[in-house]
Amino acid sequence: MSADPRRADIDRRVLEWMREPRWSYSEKRFEELALELLAFQFEHCEIYRRFCQGRDQTPGNVKTWRQIPAVPTSALKEVELRCFPAANTVHHFRTSGTSSDVRGTLYLDTLELYEASLLPTFRRFMFPEFLLPEDRAPIRVLAPAPSELTDSSLSHMFGVVLDALGEEGSGFDVENGELLFDRVLTVLVEAAASEVPITLCGTAFAFVHLIDHMSERGVLIGLPPASRIMETGGFKGRSREVPRTELYAELKRVLGIPAERIVNQYGMTELGSQFYDSVICGPSEPRRKLGPPWARVVIVDPETGHEAATGQVGSIVVVDLANTGSVLALRTGDLGRAILDGFEVIGREPGADARGCSIGADEILDRNSQ
Amino acid sequence: MTSDEIAEYFERLREAGARLKKRPSGEVIEVLGTVLERWRDPDSVWRRDLEDRLPAATGFTAPMIREGLRRALADWTGDALRELAIRELGPIDPVGAVSNRSVSGFDTTAVLLAGSIPMPSLLALIAPLALRSPVLAKAASRDPLTPHLVAQSIAEADAELGRCIRVVDFAATDEGCTRALLEADCICATGSDATIATVQSLVRPPRRLVVDGHRLSIAAVVPPASAELRGELAERLAVDIALWDQLGCLSPVAIFAVDPEPAHAAALGEAIAVALAKAEANWPRGSIAANAAHEIAQQRAEAELRRAAGRAVEIHASDATTWTVIVEDGPEPRPAPLHRFIRVVPVPDPAHLLEAIQPLAAHLAAVAIEGFGEQTPGLARTLASLGTSRVCAPGSMQSPPLDWRHAGRGVLAPLARFGDIEAIA
Repeated sequence: MSADPRRADIDRRVLEWMREPRWSYSEKRFEELALELLAFQFEHCEIYRRFCQGRDQTPGNVKTWRQIPAVPTSALKEVELRCFPAANTVHHFRTSGTSSDVRGTLYLDTLELYEASLLPTFRRFMFPEFLLPEDRAPIRVLAPAPSELTDSSLSHMFGVVLDALGEEGSGFDVENGELLFDRVLTVLVEAAASEVPITLCGTAFAFVHLIDHMSERGVLIGLPPASRIMETGGFKGRSREVPRTELYAELKRVLGIPAERIVNQYGMTELGSQFYDSVICGPSEPRRKLGPPWARVVIVDPETGHEAATGQVGSIVVVDLANTGSVLALRTGDLGRAILDGFEVIGREPGADARGCSIGADEILDRNSQ
Repeated sequence: MTSDEIAEYFERLREAGARLKKRPSGEVIEVLGTVLERWRDPDSVWRRDLEDRLPAATGFTAPMIREGLRRALADWTGDALRELAIRELGPIDPVGAVSNRSVSGFDTTAVLLAGSIPMPSLLALIAPLALRSPVLAKAASRDPLTPHLVAQSIAEADAELGRCIRVVDFAATDEGCTRALLEADCICATGSDATIATVQSLVRPPRRLVVDGHRLSIAAVVPPASAELRGELAERLAVDIALWDQLGCLSPVAIFAVDPEPAHAAALGEAIAVALAKAEANWPRGSIAANAAHEIAQQRAEAELRRAAGRAVEIHASDATTWTVIVEDGPEPRPAPLHRFIRVVPVPDPAHLLEAIQPLAAHLAAVAIEGFGEQTPGLARTLASLGTSRVCAPGSMQSPPLDWRHAGRGVLAPLARFGDIEAIA
């Protein structure tokens, strides 16, 4: 818990919300906490205060959470945004990146909110059938353990998930940077034989590796029907990109898990909360990203800076009450579109910059450094 | 469009090309010079048609297109084409003349066009014909209009020459058609580096392959102390930035303000902002994709945060994303979202300028320089030796001469077959 009494009070109320057994998407509750947190962060984070003042959007004139100034996540590579003394830092997460990228860092003075946010969200969207706190499932993670990658928020998340929800036999299948194919395949074959559903989690690119490995050896496994996959992350800086529809078709081919049981998680180091595809918790509804009540998304028209019209493509801005120690409103680098009570993340529009014959200097620099 | 149709077009082009080869090269260049003159004429039916229809095809605004074409085509005369041919190919020989040098085009040339700026397409179609090589061109998806109009204008000027050019439209992902097109004897491809890599992997030897990947440009100026001169320089830089919405390879992506006093860079940035606002009033920027607007908003917000963190960054911007000037406090490489988004980067002296642009050197198309006094010739030569194929004055970046050696090559020579005939007893 934070040493600052005002912050501790906000943390306590946010934690209370996170720990409630039934979720309530109260707009009023979110609004109150968000505006209070804005006022706290405005006061305690000098850089954020100047940012807000530069936009003339301060606690004095911001009337709704949708107006809270959002900082670009990419800027965390260059500036430190924290609302507590540096000496109180207990942990930090670093963003992933290509060899040419400067990596951003998120400093934390407590992991309590982070962990309290991720668990009920993972449970809700990956295991909606769990009724009791002690319900568990076999989970294999195609990512390194947090002990191996201490500054990875993703590994940390998986560690917390395995501790709380993983049945005996759950574990990590990346060690020393290597995906342990033999071990994974042994577990999967056993799951298929025993007809015990299994959950696989990992980065999208780890699944590409697994598919490649199985395809090269002609291995096809029919996992039990209730098995599921959670994949996350994109392909930036990777040797190749695989469209999600193709990835899901391949996962169905080699593992027998259909797209309806494959969940894409939308999260990032800079966020304390995550968003998940709705396919498992709402199988009859359109696929869209949903999150917990204490984290909200607004799609912003990049031309006007105002909320985009329904269905219009815009910038994804997340307001996350789990981010009490940094900044609660973040402008992600992604484009998205609102769908019902959620949203979808859409890729860059093909050829958006191809009208002329120029190229962004960053692309050239990126290539030069690889 | 099918690959069989493309093969059939090649057959017809070969036949037309055989007839064309019997005509004197000087006569063909004269006809093409006439075509260029028609395109130069703002009242010609071709120019008007292009100006009327290009906005819908490309998203550029009509006033910007008019100004861009006016400036770019001003010096593209028939005489300039004749001089270009002589300079790169040698004296224009009448048919049958005996010389110690033979110059000819290939039996067929394929041209893969890219982007939506019309002048490169115009030149790319005329160049092979100047060598009497028939052309099969694939229109760019972003500009399906210009190549068809150019082909029609050539046919109107000379029916036989018109039979030596054909423009086809098919998706870049259509591998069958692409392979069929790459059966030409000479292939000129423009596009992204990924497109070029694909073309290179598909071309079967022995074929001449002339490629142009993506390039960018910058400006480097000593900010004038006088407000009047600064404003005048800013207006010329704004022309370079605003025309073709900063999407051409000759559009500057950054302006290096070479001065030990950073405040002078800030003053120049302010003047450029005023000039870009004026340019927007005269030649509005075209519509842009959500992705491009998102990138501009993202870069503006990043700059705001750097400023909030205490760095000496200044931001001048329109309400929407139509123009942006970011005055940076250091030369770190940063993204260039284009669409009239410019960074003013302070560097204390030419040595630091060269150090800052070193990572871009291999990709530089043009560098506009001004204010270096006696250092100008030396700096220009150094920039050229780095790989810059054009060093020019601010305000002229979008008006390259017809004979500019794009990518450091010639215009016609790369498409020619030269044969040297030595004295034989």
